[in-house]
Amino acid sequence: MFETLALNAPSWSDLRHFVPETVLVVTFLLALMADLFARGRRPAGPFALALGGCLVALAAAVSSLPAGPRSILGDLVVVDGLAGFFRVLFPLIGAITILFSWASGEIMGPRREHKGEFYALVALMAFGMCVMASAADLIMLYLSVELVSLTSYVMAGYMRTSLRSTEASLKYVIFGSVSSGVMLYGLSLLFGLTGETTFVEIRAALLAGRADNFALLVAMVFVLAGLGYKIAAVPFHFWCPDVYEGAPTPVTALFSVGPKAAGFALMIRFFYTTLLSPGGGQAAAGAAAPDGVIVGPADWPLLIAILSVVTMTYGNLVALRQTNVKRLLAYSSIAHVGYLLMGFLMLTAAGLEAILFYLLVYAIMNLGAFLFVIALNNRLGGEEISDYAGLSTRAPWVALMMMVFLLSLTGLPPTAGFIGKMYLFAEVINRHWFWLAVVGALNSVVSLFYYMKIAKAMYFTPGERAPLRLEPLHTAVLILLAAPTLALGVYWTPFKNFVDRAVAGFAGLGG
Amino acid sequence: MTIGLTHYLVLATAVFLTGLSGVLVRRNSLIVLMSIELMLCAGNIVFAAFSRWLGDASGHVFVLMSFAVAAAEAAIGLAILVEIHRLRRSVNLDDLKTLTE
Amino acid sequence: MIPACPLAAVSTGMHADFATVLIFILFGVFFGLLALGIARLLRPHNPHPEKLVTYECGELPQGSAWVRFNVRFYLIALFFIVFDVEVIFLYPWAVVFRQLAAAPGLGLLALLEMLLFLAILVVGLAYVWAKGDLDWVKSLTARPAGEEVAGE
Repeated sequence: MFETLALNAPSWSDLRHFVPETVLVVTFLLALMADLFARGRRPAGPFALALGGCLVALAAAVSSLPAGPRSILGDLVVVDGLAGFFRVLFPLIGAITILFSWASGEIMGPRREHKGEFYALVALMAFGMCVMASAADLIMLYLSVELVSLTSYVMAGYMRTSLRSTEASLKYVIFGSVSSGVMLYGLSLLFGLTGETTFVEIRAALLAGRADNFALLVAMVFVLAGLGYKIAAVPFHFWCPDVYEGAPTPVTALFSVGPKAAGFALMIRFFYTTLLSPGGGQAAAGAAAPDGVIVGPADWPLLIAILSVVTMTYGNLVALRQTNVKRLLAYSSIAHVGYLLMGFLMLTAAGLEAILFYLLVYAIMNLGAFLFVIALNNRLGGEEISDYAGLSTRAPWVALMMMVFLLSLTGLPPTAGFIGKMYLFAEVINRHWFWLAVVGALNSVVSLFYYMKIAKAMYFTPGERAPLRLEPLHTAVLILLAAPTLALGVYWTPFKNFVDRAVAGFAGLGG
Repeated sequence: MTIGLTHYLVLATAVFLTGLSGVLVRRNSLIVLMSIELMLCAGNIVFAAFSRWLGDASGHVFVLMSFAVAAAEAAIGLAILVEIHRLRRSVNLDDLKTLTE
Repeated sequence: MIPACPLAAVSTGMHADFATVLIFILFGVFFGLLALGIARLLRPHNPHPEKLVTYECGELPQGSAWVRFNVRFYLIALFFIVFDVEVIFLYPWAVVFRQLAAAPGLGLLALLEMLLFLAILVVGLAYVWAKGDLDWVKSLTARPAGEEVAGE
């Protein structure tokens, strides 16, 4: 818990607990420098440096487990179980993105310039996401969100001679900056109301009743707008489909899992630390009560519940009408945010475990589905559902792997997605949010229709018959992602334990 | 009449709403980017005013940080605008219709 | 750091300062109008359309003054903004550095941190320089020949 942490001035020894992040920053700078010396069509130097850096950061993150709880860098950053989990996840996502970008025509094609820059930016984004997961102060919250956003803007517009890519980038910049402006305003009000910038001290000030209720509500809604934009929850999702469709597909794959997971990490830390006080809620009010006591005036879990229902319903219903697979997956990712928000508003350790487990599974299966789109775009030059007609005869194994990802995204057994959804829904029912569980289940049924549209095109629509050979690197990474999607559906105990330990070490939700 | 905290907050709200309405109403993306800067500016005014009022320097630190962020945001936004202008000869938001359902 | 002084306490002084400013503004406006008024009384009145034409060194003006500036100005401005704003981090640091240097251990930390900060900026500058984006002439010729205007 935070209360046991000593307040400390920054010192160089803090960096010992900040190794993965430091590695990623150094990787970014080195890869950028290496780009200056890269010759030829493929920038091998930046690629190898960025991939190696992500893997070293991953190793450092794993070896630092169990992390924490430790407040470092002048209490701007806290390293605990939650941060420990995400600093394993983000370098992993970064490494996978770098790997499949290497063979992607959209990133490495002849028209592209500054290819080395792309790999450097992935490392920088991984760094930003790690900081988002460990921010413990309003300043760090704002800076880390902005670092990830600014990197995203550049990556979305990476294909700078393409109308679609630059348009996506400009839309992203405008929506992103507006919501960051709204969030900054909310943060400033929060600072004024409590006089503090650290999450823990803000909670202490709120508990002391120093803040005006209405102003606090306004500040919270503004901050939620900024974080909601990061995870693309429904009133703040407008940028999402356009950016996902316009950006190069490897970048879309990264956007659909990385910043989203980082946004959830930050939301969990911010809301569970400032608006929730560790207390015996469970003992006092029966089994259906949350693990903490809500601080502040508003019944904010109900607000999030409404957000969750709107998000998943909108995402699923609009996804039904899509014919472009990237756009379809964009709406489907919005729907998944809705499911994840269900776990978020439970305010329990079990709810958090379900979220983290689902994020892990979601990262694997969604990266897999996007990698399929990339691999086929390289060969077919398109990403409409109709492009996949007859794929089961042209590339049977690839079609089968996509089937696994689709089943997992729907949440059907025997896949990882099923286990993830099972934990989420079990916790929702345990806490007596029955109506929410019903809406969630109905939504899963709706999602079956559009995922199966892709399956139908692959298996039942006749198309070309000539065999299709993918890039060997793409096939390898596809197998690397499809295997855990299946395996986690059958044997998931070690991963569940990993997630449980992360939540047990979370500094915010004290027992 | 003395200039107090309330005046600064009212000023900030006015600046924020000016920026927000600029974003919503104007169609020239250069103007929209400028309006966004106004919104960030409103947050900075609130931070600086509260920082002074509370006697707590962390608000000032926040303002410095958000200056840097705003500059980076403007730089990236403008760079993308330049690129879009090269491709389309227009920076009007209504012309950006390649990505619609 | 900053002494606790609520705004209300400062603002009586602020009030008086604004009165001074107001007097200056009034005087400025008054003298401007005075000069214009006297000139109007003394000068001959003889209007002619050519007198209203934009002054361009005595020649007849050519084209509109509303020309589009070269896009390279924007690029230079972009680099300028980014590196210029970093200077605001140097000022507060310089102001408190003497106090930090007095504290054991913190002085070196503060110095090295600022050097690290500047080193990262230098990497950025070196990157921009080596890529040729600071050259006035190069930036337009380096574009690839065919532009894929259609979506990819």
